[in-house]
Amino acid sequence: MNLTRRTALAGVAAVAASTGLAACATAGGDDGDKVKQGDTSAENPLGVSAEAALEVVIFKGGYGDQYAIDAGTSLKQKFPKVAVDHKGIQGVGEVLQPRFVADSPPDVVDNSGAGRLDLATLVSAGKLTDLTSLLDAPSLDDPGKKVRDTLMPGVIEDGTFDGKPLVLNYSSVLWGVWYSKSLFAKHGWTFPKTWDEMLTLNDEIKKAGLHPWTWQGKYPEYLNDPLVSLAAKAGGFDLVKSIDNLQPGAWQSPAMLAAAEAIYQLAVRGHIMPGSEGLSHTEAQNAWCKGQVAFIPCGSWLEGEQQAVTPAGFDMVMGTVPALTGSDKLPNGAVMAASSESFIVPAKAKNVPGGLEFLRHLFSQKVARGFAETAKALPVVAGATDGLNLSSGLGSVAEAVKAAGPNVFSYKFRTWYAPLSKALDDATGELATKRINPQQWAGRVQKAADAVAKDSSIVKHQR
Amino acid sequence: MRHGKYRFLVGALIVPLALYGVFVLSPYLQAFQLSFTNWNGVDSAPEFTGFDNYVKLLDDPLFLAGLRHNGLMLLVVPLAVIVVALALAAATKGTRVYRVVYFFPQLLSVAIIAVLWQFVYTPNSGLLNGALSAVGLDSWRRSWLAEPDLALWCVMAVMIWSAVGFYVVLFSAAMESVPADIMEAAAIDGAGSVTVFRRITLPLIWESVQVGWIYLGIAALDGFALVQIMTVGPGGPDNSTEVMGLGLYRAAFTFGKFGYASAMGVAIFFATLTIAALLLRVTRRERVELA
Amino acid sequence: MRTKHAALTLWAVVVTLPLVWALMSSFKTDAEIFDSPWTPPATPRLDNWSRAWEQASIGQYLLNTLIVVGGSLALTMLLGALTAYCLARYEFPGNRFLYYTLVAGMLFPVFLALVPLFFVVNNLGMLGTYHGLILVYAAYALPFTVFFLHGFFRSLPGAVAEAAFIDGASHAGVFFRVMLPMARPGMVSVGIFNFLGLWNQYLLPKVLNPDPDRYVIAQGLAELAVSRGARSDWSGLFAGLMIAILPILLAYVFFQRQIRAGLTSGALK
Repeated sequence: MNLTRRTALAGVAAVAASTGLAACATAGGDDGDKVKQGDTSAENPLGVSAEAALEVVIFKGGYGDQYAIDAGTSLKQKFPKVAVDHKGIQGVGEVLQPRFVADSPPDVVDNSGAGRLDLATLVSAGKLTDLTSLLDAPSLDDPGKKVRDTLMPGVIEDGTFDGKPLVLNYSSVLWGVWYSKSLFAKHGWTFPKTWDEMLTLNDEIKKAGLHPWTWQGKYPEYLNDPLVSLAAKAGGFDLVKSIDNLQPGAWQSPAMLAAAEAIYQLAVRGHIMPGSEGLSHTEAQNAWCKGQVAFIPCGSWLEGEQQAVTPAGFDMVMGTVPALTGSDKLPNGAVMAASSESFIVPAKAKNVPGGLEFLRHLFSQKVARGFAETAKALPVVAGATDGLNLSSGLGSVAEAVKAAGPNVFSYKFRTWYAPLSKALDDATGELATKRINPQQWAGRVQKAADAVAKDSSIVKHQR
Repeated sequence: MRHGKYRFLVGALIVPLALYGVFVLSPYLQAFQLSFTNWNGVDSAPEFTGFDNYVKLLDDPLFLAGLRHNGLMLLVVPLAVIVVALALAAATKGTRVYRVVYFFPQLLSVAIIAVLWQFVYTPNSGLLNGALSAVGLDSWRRSWLAEPDLALWCVMAVMIWSAVGFYVVLFSAAMESVPADIMEAAAIDGAGSVTVFRRITLPLIWESVQVGWIYLGIAALDGFALVQIMTVGPGGPDNSTEVMGLGLYRAAFTFGKFGYASAMGVAIFFATLTIAALLLRVTRRERVELA
Repeated sequence: MRTKHAALTLWAVVVTLPLVWALMSSFKTDAEIFDSPWTPPATPRLDNWSRAWEQASIGQYLLNTLIVVGGSLALTMLLGALTAYCLARYEFPGNRFLYYTLVAGMLFPVFLALVPLFFVVNNLGMLGTYHGLILVYAAYALPFTVFFLHGFFRSLPGAVAEAAFIDGASHAGVFFRVMLPMARPGMVSVGIFNFLGLWNQYLLPKVLNPDPDRYVIAQGLAELAVSRGARSDWSGLFAGLMIAILPILLAYVFFQRQIRAGLTSGALK
């Protein structure tokens, strides 16, 4: 959930993986005992060999690994003679790196957690199977629907490298603005649809003796999420792309400036709880959970994080960031989302068809529902949580996904260009304390973006 | 009689020297080499870029901020610690229990001190603001670590807090070895206690003070753990607590600029060396025994 | 006289207050910590401590720390004493060179080595392993240990060793049976110095020990304090802090004289 730290660790892991994988360019692979693809049929679209063994290695972290065990059980119901060897482990990179180097990897890997292998390195070394055949295979639940059509928008894009789908993420994270349903009901407040309504409601909240907003000031990126969400809604997908592609002037575009102004207004109008800029995430979120504050920006993990300190009947829900203007390019429900828990089928796996078939089961309705229930997080399988009795927060996240439809956006610059993220975090911290104004904010961030664009030592990406 | 001397020497020295060579010496040497490349940790062959990294350093606002802040720490922390420690050491003469207590912070990991002080400084439920309210100084309450003008001073206060105890013990041990008859003689001659301290005690314990300067000076060039754990950002707000070590760590392990980070390491090395040499020179009163 | 005692008491309060306050907080509920930082707990929550021990993995972190610090301390003392002894008591070509090369390690800031060290440890496949940390800790503790014990071995009288040689003892025998026991006071001082230094390490594990299951205590607590997304538990964090602090403070109270002497004599060498 911690994207910045993950990025940092990814950098470390990148290095960790690269040295080993560089060596394996010369290591001989033994394709001799590779399981051949069997005959394909409607029942067996991926041509799974009915008796070949299947080795599955799963990161067993905050989400547990029950859902992957379920996927194995589901697969065995169809292919009873396939021996599924399930391993739930923690240090994925540590365990698997030597096996990737020796070209004898398992058949399916959930490459997640702090010690994971670096994806970019695996990709550039050609270590991953192209998942197109899986995406085009009929889904387990509805033969009339391809697997690719059962996934939430953005998921395939998240795992596509140079046009090839190589990774499928399993869990979805959304960002929004959280509030307590019961608190709002008590005061007769409704979650605002536009930012103007937000500011009006904030004044009302202040009159009721509450602080309208707080944020996790020690980590300014928390306030960036609503800011760049507002900008994306106003400027549309084009704006998101122009930001990620480091286009000149993108941070000073009208939509981005207006979004900065929107957040700035919270500070100017005294809508932010005093001291927020010095609070850690824990402190800010606890002040909010105690009902001192109405709104807090956060990702969809908030409910789980606050489990122990949330009072009964608090009923936290996540609202999507309101519309910035009346003429936003994206409709009102548009939401920022990203996916995590990266599943891959190694190119040198002994049983590639079996690995793909495992993923077909993993991304089925039944397994995904189990994930929502056991992991208390949102799977990327569309509609998987329908009819489930979800907790208040997770339920609101699932609804937000549904309401968003195809209007799901995500910025890549945070993972692509860490120096830009840092500059943005610093600037937003200053903006929220009124030490700089939106123009200065945009100028500073644009300068950092230009510096990254100019820096030849930073690998550039395009989308 | 001493046959097998070389066999013994080789057997005894090979492991420690190998360990030292692999984990200490070779990284130090590689750092210089890497600092002339633009290595990003992924490419198999780093590209030689000459002094590019060093030129960039001079133009990098983050690094310059770090340099400035470490410089300020260097001016403030050693002096403050030594003055407070000397005063307390002189005052604790005969009351040992204080020294026992003062020494506590020395036993704590700097990471643990940082976590602890984060709780002290936190605005709404922190110890410091709570204490100020308790004594009626509500108007003094601040978001200590969130105000750019205050944050670095708060970090330095923690450095001083954690260092004083050790130097109280160091200095009082030195003071005890000052012969009592010298002091008595001075007192009989009518010298005031300040004069006695300045003219007699201080010169006699100067070696300890000098050691203190050097240790504290080197420590003032660090600050990584405190800043990384306690401050906004970390290094904030708006880089007002940035230190060189944090900049190096970030450049390497967040930005993946390993060549550039190595150049920072070299810069820190020369800064450390210069400070140590300068302090040795400035504080020199008599020959210092190094070996 | 009165101001003197007031000043002494004031500093004692400044030093102890954060610790006492953290101790008190470790018995409170999260709500009590946030709402009334100054009030003692309504009922002392001992379960904070057990929760920190088990769920927040403080127990695991302590065990990791004991393994890493214990292993590296033993290695440092053995290798450091051996090296210092050889360099102090044997004449051979290159002796001075080796000594100064080793001792020069004390002058270099660890930051300089950090980046290459990460790659060295990684290339050896030792990132996030106990033995990797043990070897690195020992390597970095070696210069000071050698420096300190070198002086110590030099100051020991040679007659006993001579006698042992005449009795036919081997070189190793003289070191282990004769010289090492004589060097005990020095070993204790430098041992205490090293123990605290290694116990309190933060930078090295932060870079070289990325696996949360192997976190050492200082690193683990710092990560707990800043980790986001995981279930928050502040009372548990305070309890964890105390679990990390108390053993050392207790050991100090019992052995304070030796510890203070060890640390200060270490500094003054």
